[in-house]
This record gives sequence, structure tokens and C-alpha cells, in this order.
Amino acid sequence: MERRTALRIIALGAMTPQLEALGAATHCAMQEGTAWMPADYKLQFFTPAENELVDQLSEIIIPADAHSPGAHAAKVSLFADLMVATSSDAVKAQWRNGLHLFQEAAAKSSPATAIAEVAAHEQHPTSDLERFFIVLKVMTVNGYYTSEIGIHQDLEYIGNTYLDVFPGYPPLV
Amino acid sequence: MASTLKEYDVCIVGSGAAGGVMAKELSEGGAQVVLLEGGKRVDPSQFLSHKWPYELQFRGLRNEKQAMFYQGDVRESIRYEDSDNVSADRMRVVGGRTVHWNAVTLRYAARDFREWSLAGVEEDWPLSYEELAPYYERIEAMIGVCGQDDGLEILPGGSHYLPPLPWRRSERILQRATKPMGIPVIPVRKALLTKPFDGRPPCHYCGHCMSGCDVSAIFSSATAMIPKAQATGNFTLRQNALAREILVNDEGQARAVSFIDTTTGKEEQVRAKIVVLCAATVESARLLLNSRSPKHPNGLANSQDVVGRYLSGHVGNGVNAYVKELEGLKPSNLDGATDHVFIPRYNHLLPKTNYVGGWDIQINLTNYMFPRQALGLPGYGTEFKSQVRRMEPGLLSFGIFCKVMARRENRVTVDPHRVDAHGIPIPVMHFRFGENDTALWRESNQSVQEICEKVNSRVFTDAGEKPSGFASHEVGTVRMGTNPKTSVLNSYCQAHEVKNLFVTDGSTFTTSSEKNPTLTIMALSLRTSEFIKDQRKKGLL
Repeated sequence: MERRTALRIIALGAMTPQLEALGAATHCAMQEGTAWMPADYKLQFFTPAENELVDQLSEIIIPADAHSPGAHAAKVSLFADLMVATSSDAVKAQWRNGLHLFQEAAAKSSPATAIAEVAAHEQHPTSDLERFFIVLKVMTVNGYYTSEIGIHQDLEYIGNTYLDVFPGYPPLV
Repeated sequence: MASTLKEYDVCIVGSGAAGGVMAKELSEGGAQVVLLEGGKRVDPSQFLSHKWPYELQFRGLRNEKQAMFYQGDVRESIRYEDSDNVSADRMRVVGGRTVHWNAVTLRYAARDFREWSLAGVEEDWPLSYEELAPYYERIEAMIGVCGQDDGLEILPGGSHYLPPLPWRRSERILQRATKPMGIPVIPVRKALLTKPFDGRPPCHYCGHCMSGCDVSAIFSSATAMIPKAQATGNFTLRQNALAREILVNDEGQARAVSFIDTTTGKEEQVRAKIVVLCAATVESARLLLNSRSPKHPNGLANSQDVVGRYLSGHVGNGVNAYVKELEGLKPSNLDGATDHVFIPRYNHLLPKTNYVGGWDIQINLTNYMFPRQALGLPGYGTEFKSQVRRMEPGLLSFGIFCKVMARRENRVTVDPHRVDAHGIPIPVMHFRFGENDTALWRESNQSVQEICEKVNSRVFTDAGEKPSGFASHEVGTVRMGTNPKTSVLNSYCQAHEVKNLFVTDGSTFTTSSEKNPTLTIMALSLRTSEFIKDQRKKGLL
């Protein structure tokens, strides 16, 4: 997902039709909902080395901590593989190139240092690597916070249910 | 040779907000009615609204939950040429857009019908608020609307409201902040049940209004109108029946509708004494423009080249703000019914402005099951993750809707060389925002930023450099008016040129306001159904 698309989704979250239009414009296939089974998943786009790199980088972006597991436990790299594998050729090329650039940067120092250097330019990216970091981060956010770990363990989300009375918070005094 | 096909009294095209009302009213009035719907019914038990993201292949991204409402090639069979950033929301399913809507139901104010008289722009509607008010009242009583009459001139109220939705703490904070600014925050009015009504259960506060309500607590024509029509024994629903064109007799009056059965690919016809289009702004114009004949070489009811023109809608914009004083609260179930409060238009209360019209603001909660702040918050690592969690309770999502001026050059056309999967020429949109539209968009963005500052919140926005539309609220294209040279329909939504042809969807709007159009569409459809019944009784149709 492009940075601009991601930002527009934030801005237009209240307006589903635009969201749908964006979805239709930026993604190719639409399929009926089916349960996603990470245990049975086989890589469709990433090489094993690329998958390992995405796994490392996503865990740096959303790490395990005392509160909850991180992106590695949520298998974000497999989610990313599925999304990229079912996207356009342009998106695939962006990921192949972006991961190559990250591999080069990490080889000079470490994945953590590479992330730290590009993240410093997140607000105003100028290089392909800095721009790809934003793509990677959006994918990590999407993958993590739509996983069971992200929703239930990290956010402790308790909605999506059937209530007789709306609870909310106690009213403002 | 005389046709052996059954002749219905009325053929309705489209089963959404307008078509549902029309079908129920005319069937209950004793007319033999057939309704053509391009899509098929989806039972609410099949909706994916309550699915967790991780139960879906693409985690609910890529329109996964709502794809079932956009059947066939409806998404692909449209083009945009020489257009700004706009999109039309077309659905193909029994119930139309009422199976997938937020159900905000607002009356137009008296001033919204009189732009020419009051501001010297556009045209006045050929009917007044006072004439439409009884029909607003009846529709609100018919479909179940929660909220209250707030006594505001800019947002007239009725007397049949169900109890308003309870407010979230963030919404109380918003009201506290805007009160000194003279900006009212009121309970939202939605076609959503807060207590049992008409055999339907109340809302269960899951937040999935836009993904399809699995218990029909939100009004849908598919579950609240079509079954009533079917119960009369006078009603026939043809699903998967994609209208191609309206056929006319030697006098140029409508006699039949040809359609494609999308399950067989075969073309069929249905005969009727009266044809009522309820196919929405783009499709109704498309159907008329595709209905060319020697009597109507430019398309049906289009001798003045008005069909398709005056396309309008809403500028849509959004801002997510996170109230700082709510950061770090323990998780609570805030899903609710998406939006519980509403900011009606307020710019008319300000000193004189250099633009016409205004905006209103829906206050939505859109982070059920997904923390949208994570897509805008800079940084990474443990601190990022912790901050995402801390911000979660404080979301105020501002959905801003601005009036768009109706201008002749903005239009829908059809191109016979570009056809859909069934060989029917597709609609082509041509739309540019005008200076007034851009001024409203700019002013509304600035105003919401000021509100967010008063609330003391972290703000994520991407207003972009130009406005975008239509927020699923496109109107115009088959407008009403008193002058047959600048309008297609009279005040009863009857075509000036074809007396047995009616159109009652959003395409009929003479002008738009900042308000959501659906309640006005339903009120117009109800009023027209009364007219049709009366004219039939008098033998005039």
C-alpha cells in the first residue's frame, strides 16, 4: 500500500465509498472471505531470505515487549507475502527492490541500524529506501493489528459483539 | 401483432431507498408492480460484518466485507474523463445502497430548496420544504429514525423519533469544546433502531453499520420495504435483471423496459403502463440516455439536452483527532453505532462569507477492530506500539460533507463504443469542482482544525491539495424544475416530455445541500407514489 493511500485511508475512514474506490484502484483481486491459515501457508512471492528479512524488520517496527508479542509472533511476513503476491507487478517490483536496498543497508551495519537511519526521515522521505520504509511500516501495521495477537493481546479489544446496552466509558463529569 | 407479455401497471427500476418506498406504496395501493433489480438478494445471515479480520483472507482489506454488494461488473463499468478526484458509488444488490450505509437521515431545510431566491445561484426547487414536510414526517415514522428535534432552522425536526443514541465520553468533550465557539453538537439522526420497531430488533452496538447490519436494526429496503410489497400479492421482484433501455410507443410514451437477465445473458422485456426509475443518479441518467428512439433521438425525455447534466454531490473530507485527556484509559467497548453525535451546518451563523452553502460534520468512531492512528503516527518500536495503544480510547473521526454547486457542464454521458459485460453502453463521468466548491472545502478544513485545537487533540489529516467527492452522495442529472428547458422532471418527479415516466432517486435533486440525500429521496418517492395513485384513480395515467 502506498504511503499516500494509507494516509487517505486515515483521513477518509469515515467515508467508506472512497475507501472502496481506493481499494479497487490499488488492489487487483477480490475474493470471498476465507479463514487464513498461517500454519499451512507457503510463500508465494518472497524468497526464504526475503521472508526472513521482512520478519526481522517487522519485528523491529512492532517488537514483542512486556505487554504483548510482536510482529514476528503475529507472522506479519507471511501476511505481507500474501498481499504482495496478489498485487500488481508494480507493487511486486517495489517490494523486490525495496528489500534489496534494505538487505544492502543492513549488511553495512545491522537491520536495527538500517531501520533507525531511514525512520529518521519518515516525515520527508527522499530516497527509494526511505520511501520503502513507509511501505514496509504500513504493511506491518496492517498485518499486526489485524492479527489475533494485535487485536486481542495488544489492543485488548473487547468489541465486535452483541450488546443490550452501550457501555462506553462513564460519562464526563 | 399485439404482445402476449403481461402488462403491469408499474415497472420500477432499482430497489434502493427510492425503489423500496415506491414498491411498497404502489403495491399496497393495489397496483400490479414489477421491480427490476440488477443484483440479487443477499440474506443478512451471509453478511461478513462480524467476522474478525484474521478470519478473512485479506484481513478485511480490499473491500472484502462489502464485495458481495457490488455484484457483476458494476465497479468496472464506468469511466471518468476530464474529471477531478470524484467517484460514484454504484451498487448492485436487492436493497441498493440501503444494505450498506451509515443511515444518517436529515431533512433539507427550507433554505436548501431556494438557492436562487436567497443567494442568486443555481435554481430553486419546484417544491418547498412545507410541501415536502408531511412526507418527511411519514417516512421517519415508517422506517424508524433515532434522534430528536433540536429546534434548529437549519435542520428541521419531526415528531416520530426513537430515543437518541447514548454519547461517548469523547463526544461530550467535543461538545464542551465547541459550545463556546457557537457550534452545536447534537444527537445524530439515523435510520437505526434504539428499541424494537416494526418487527425489527434494536441496535446491538457492534459498529459495523457500513458492512451490512446482520439483524436489520438499520433500515434497509431489502428487509423493511420489499417484504411488505411482496406480502400484498401485487408485487413481482425480478432479480439479476439489468435494465438496458426504456421502450416507447408511437406516441413516444413509455411502454416497456428491456433488460438483461444476467444469469442467462438473454434480453427480455417487461411491459408496463408506468415506468418509475429508482436506479440512482448515474444509472438513471445512463438508462435514459441509452433509450434512444425516433421519437427521442437524444435519449428519453432529453430533447433539451438536460439529462445527465448538473451532476453534483458532496465534497467529502475526513480528519481523525485523538483527545489527549482520554489517552491511556483502560480499553472499553466503544464500537456503538458508528456515529452517535452530529454537527449540523453552522457557517450560516458566521459573519457574511464569500461563498454559498455550507458543510456539516458526522462524528464517527471508525477504529473498531483497527487502530487507524497506527497508520499516521510516526516512529517505530516499543514506544510506537505503546502510543498506539494509549491513543485508542480518544478517537474523534470527523466526516465532513460540503455542498457542491450544480453546474450544467458537470455531467454523465454514455458512449456507445464502450459497453459493459452485457453490451450496454457504460456511463462516463465528466466533473470539475468549481470555485465555490473549493472555497467550501478550504473553509471547512480550517474550521475543523480549529475545533480540534479546542478539543486538545492529536490530529491526523490529509486534506490534499484539492477537494474530492462524492462520498456516495451524488445527485442531479435528471433534475426537477419548473422550466422544461432546464429540467427533466416536474415537482412530482414526472418527466415533462413523457407523462408516464417518473424518476424518484437522487438524480432528481435540483440542487444539493450539505445534508445526506437519502431521507429526501425517500420523501420524494413517497410523494410521487401518492401522485401516481391519484392520477391512476382519475384515469390520467
